[in-house]
Amino acid sequence: MSVVIKNPEKSKWYLSGVMGGLVITARHMVTNLFNRKKMMTLNYPEEKYEYSPRFKGNHVLTVKKDGSIRCTACMLCATNCPAECIKIVAAEHNDPTVEKYPISYEIDVLRCVFCGFCEEACPVDAIRMGPEWQTPGINGSQFIYDINHLAYRPQLKGGVVSVVDESERHKSGI
Amino acid sequence: MPKCTINGQEVEVKDGSTIMEAFSKLNEGIAHYCYHPGLSVAGVCRLCIVDIEGNPRPQIACNTVVTEGMKITNKSEKIKEGVKWVLDFHLINHPLDCPICDQAGECGLQDQYMQFGKYSSEMAEPKVKKHKVVDLGPTVVLDSERCILCARCVRFTDEVSKTNELGLFNRGDRTEIGTFAGKPLDNNYSLNTVDICPVGALTSKDFRFRQRVWYLKDSETVCTGCSTGCNVKVYYNKEGAFRVKPIYNEKVNGYWMCDEGRFIYQWVNREFRLLKGRKKTQGQNGWQEDIEAGALAQDAHKAIKAAGDKLAVVLTGQYSTHEYQTLLKNLPTKKVYHWKNHPEKWEEFDGLLNRGDKNPNTKGLVKALSEASIKTDWNELASGIKSGAITTVIVAGPENMAVYGDLEEKIQMIGAAPQVIWATACKSNLFDKFSGNVWLLPMKSYLEKNGSFINHQGLEQNFKKATTIVSEALTLEEASYLLSGQSIPLPKVPSVDTFIETNRRPDQVTLEHRKKNEFVYKRGSL
Repeated sequence: MSVVIKNPEKSKWYLSGVMGGLVITARHMVTNLFNRKKMMTLNYPEEKYEYSPRFKGNHVLTVKKDGSIRCTACMLCATNCPAECIKIVAAEHNDPTVEKYPISYEIDVLRCVFCGFCEEACPVDAIRMGPEWQTPGINGSQFIYDINHLAYRPQLKGGVVSVVDESERHKSGI
Repeated sequence: MPKCTINGQEVEVKDGSTIMEAFSKLNEGIAHYCYHPGLSVAGVCRLCIVDIEGNPRPQIACNTVVTEGMKITNKSEKIKEGVKWVLDFHLINHPLDCPICDQAGECGLQDQYMQFGKYSSEMAEPKVKKHKVVDLGPTVVLDSERCILCARCVRFTDEVSKTNELGLFNRGDRTEIGTFAGKPLDNNYSLNTVDICPVGALTSKDFRFRQRVWYLKDSETVCTGCSTGCNVKVYYNKEGAFRVKPIYNEKVNGYWMCDEGRFIYQWVNREFRLLKGRKKTQGQNGWQEDIEAGALAQDAHKAIKAAGDKLAVVLTGQYSTHEYQTLLKNLPTKKVYHWKNHPEKWEEFDGLLNRGDKNPNTKGLVKALSEASIKTDWNELASGIKSGAITTVIVAGPENMAVYGDLEEKIQMIGAAPQVIWATACKSNLFDKFSGNVWLLPMKSYLEKNGSFINHQGLEQNFKKATTIVSEALTLEEASYLLSGQSIPLPKVPSVDTFIETNRRPDQVTLEHRKKNEFVYKRGSL
């Protein structure tokens, strides 16, 4: 790397540049003092930024109308996951129309890259990327989210209902 | 020997062979479901239609005999269109179960649909609903909706296993596969129906929902369930082995294998295996755990050295021929005994594949013993231990302990000797019955080593290493070197790089050159 110095004579007159910078700073300070709505910064954590609804935050497992997990354990999300952070253990369901369901669904959030491929791969709208983005934790906190956290954490207020409903599909004869 | 032309290629086939056989002789692709080379021809799926010159309508390849000078094609527009519509008929009542279907990933319907599919259904009527998750027997589950009624499984139970459990019930699009009342699908070959099912209608209870097939790798090996030595494919991943399927070998097993052989993969997995060496000293309570296998074998060598000619070796027919030969060469004793489990049952044969001798390599052991000119009687071992003529016994114990019903009895008999070195792949509570000094050496299973088995006909079959499940385990060959006080011979690495690319140009810049040039170039530009 080399720095090309074009005009050494002119650069001695730096004072005007410095003053110009200070004027800009002062102007912003004054506008922020008297017109706080135009302020570019947020007082985090008291104020929080509202992201668009498309924001890809922490995962949510959706539920059926009766409140049970929508996921059929087809493992397409785990197959599609580039970070290999989804681990599913499937089991046989007592109800023959359900047939297969996950007894364990774990996401290692520290490995997750929040690409949203799991959401895209899911054939039954069982996994979504939610709006949550602040999930701090101190040493020893749990960053491998289990099925209960993903589907029934308190913020979800009893679970998000999936748009794909098997019984309606059966009724329409598909 | 009629000659025919298939898609422009001439081929000569045997008298009476069908067009389908001519296609497979040429390795030419043709869509089919109900045809299976190991079963009779049914001609029910109508998917293998071909155009024969001079014939106004398409014919099915599986049931048409080749005649002299036939000109056959399945590449014409008419046939492509026909296959597309036949496939659409098959899919009319087929459910959209692929996400939860175990067959997904190796499904005939998925594969053929990608190749010939119409991609848009013409059906406006609702699909016919049938029974789901029907329990057919102890090993197989049926999903009637997914069934395309190729009747391969029905023909299998009629023709191969000859148990006639399955049948087709009802008519038309309400036809279902099922069992007769009070007669479940329960025979020793039932899981072959799962293999030949081209869709996910029949699934194995053992494998059901345990893994998606695309997570599994496969490797060809030889079944160790009995002395038939069926050629099999073992499906495994880093969590262990998951299932076994047969592969075709005309001389040994044809297309099939028995259920008993399918379940022997289970003891190979980590939870049943002895992961580290264990040692028990006389007078001490409990085992010394977690000893490195190599160090334990070297420790056992001291005991062998002290025993001198009071050493005996007990061998079971579950290791490869080469392992026996190395062991007999390395250990300086002629007191080698062949442990036979239930030899009275060894001549039993169920008429198809399963044999009473549950050791894969009995013939190999007999051959190795005769090569080393060893001839001993089992009763000598018991009397030798009693009289004190044998103080140290090395046992190459069975890998598959479930077929050794006399294990407890033999442990008590051999355990009477003051020092026992027992090589075993699996762990067992029975080993707690030893009272003297015991060394338990962890062994590799048949999936983790190369070798060969000699089956009941005297056919030597090689098998290769598939995966590593217990990394610290030894093969019997390695153990014999360590027990005799030698160091393990390491595999020889050639000093000169023997890999030479054949298509390398003489003036081609190699990677090494490029690396050097890069550094030089950069250094110069700084």
